[in-house]
Amino acid sequence: MIPLNYFLILGAFLFCIGILGVLTRRNVVGILISIELILNAANINLVAFNKYLGTPDGLGQIFSLFVIAIAAAASVVGLVLVIAIYRNGKSVYADQYNLMKW
Amino acid sequence: MTDITFYFIALSLCVFAFLTVVSRDVFHCAVWLALTLLSISGIYFYLGAGFLGVIQILVYVGGIITLFVFAIKLTAHIGDAAIRQTNEQVIPSGIVVLILFYFLIKIVVSSPWAKIDPQAPVLSLKELGASLMTTYLLPFEFISLLLLAVMVGAIVIGRVKK
Repeated sequence: MIPLNYFLILGAFLFCIGILGVLTRRNVVGILISIELILNAANINLVAFNKYLGTPDGLGQIFSLFVIAIAAAASVVGLVLVIAIYRNGKSVYADQYNLMKW
Repeated sequence: MTDITFYFIALSLCVFAFLTVVSRDVFHCAVWLALTLLSISGIYFYLGAGFLGVIQILVYVGGIITLFVFAIKLTAHIGDAAIRQTNEQVIPSGIVVLILFYFLIKIVVSSPWAKIDPQAPVLSLKELGASLMTTYLLPFEFISLLLLAVMVGAIVIGRVKK
């Protein structure tokens, strides 16, 4: 059987890749895609801990379900904001957004 | 045999995640993200969390990817090849991410529960639903409230003002 280590390293790799995407992308939709990667890394850790450490009542799996629901909600709001800002300012690049600057 | 399954899924997951972040066209990003999420559902199936794997495919690959594709196609000239897709912080943030990865690996390897065997019995769907409806009922209801708020907020923000 695979030790718990490997799942945690996999989650750490996915998390770091997501952080790299958030830091380097200019396109806001690309940043949202990278945020999905980060949330999924957390989910892998939760499910692996649930299997290996024996959390009560399947706590890890249920929290992963909540994380999936909140990730869906977050990406919906983010994409609607991108479309609304694009309608006003015709840009999807994060370094050209200056609506809230004065 | 099962070990080979895990290594195959993990390798494909790493490759797809890397391609998600580095590919230029955002539409390609969304396609690679779909494959990454499918690999993650494979990890869930491997860990015995079958319900979570099915939910992952339904919600993520079925719902969120569709949403991303719509958002990419509604914002035109988004995948123009002449436009730079990364900002000027690629090298510093790469160094920061490498340092972060090094310390995460160091913490994971030195932890006391790194090499234990699985202890929890695989939870059946019936038990999962029962604990969702009894022990974790309050967060469940809060999630439904959150989804309602998000639905109303998305309609209000995305509405075309006359």
